Amino acid sequence: MSTSRLRQGALNIAEWLAQPMPPDCGGLAVFAGTVRDVHEGRAVTGINYHAHAALAERRLAEIEAEAAQRFGAQVSVAHAVGELKVGDASVVIVVRSGHRAEAFAACRWAIDTLKQTVPIWKEERYADGAARFLEGTPIKTVKES
Amino acid sequence: MRITVECHGASQRWCGAELVNLDLGEAATVADALGRLAERYPELALRRDTVAVAIGDDIVAVTHELSDGERIALIPPVSGG
Repeated sequence: MSTSRLRQGALNIAEWLAQPMPPDCGGLAVFAGTVRDVHEGRAVTGINYHAHAALAERRLAEIEAEAAQRFGAQVSVAHAVGELKVGDASVVIVVRSGHRAEAFAACRWAIDTLKQTVPIWKEERYADGAARFLEGTPIKTVKES
Repeated sequence: MRITVECHGASQRWCGAELVNLDLGEAATVADALGRLAERYPELALRRDTVAVAIGDDIVAVTHELSDGERIALIPPVSGG
């Protein structure tokens, strides 16, 4: 398995479920984001994900470390770059923890934080042939979020 | 000095290119570079306060002093997930 958290093309969620559960863990939570076929009423055919690779890798690693510290959990985060089609997985977060409460909480925190701190941009492609970058949110640090 | 600006995400559209070269005076800062870009690209000027600048894998302050040949990256508002 690649150690890179930024991957070219759609993610295979099963890859992040293959590693064994630590024996002291009883909760496994997964969040996966996938490409939807509609956005604000427009028919979407795919999304081209762009990234600043060096900073994105660093921020994804920081999210894992911060989530592990905050929630006492083992956290894995990955994001796709490149052309994805409807139904493809663009992001995956897997949390292994002692109990369900911290597993759900860490998963929620990690995806919410990723959306504000990782330099990745969605360029949506539409059924009418147009494409545009989504507006987004000014980047924050992981500690600020 | 001459620096290179990488335009990421929507800033590629605002600047019309993935890479832009800028000639700046001595002891120029990131703020000077953003100011020059804003003069040249009106769409960037409208969103200047929302754009961060990275060097390598660090976000740098607008007061950061640039060096000749340095490469900076525009980080417009992010939309991952």
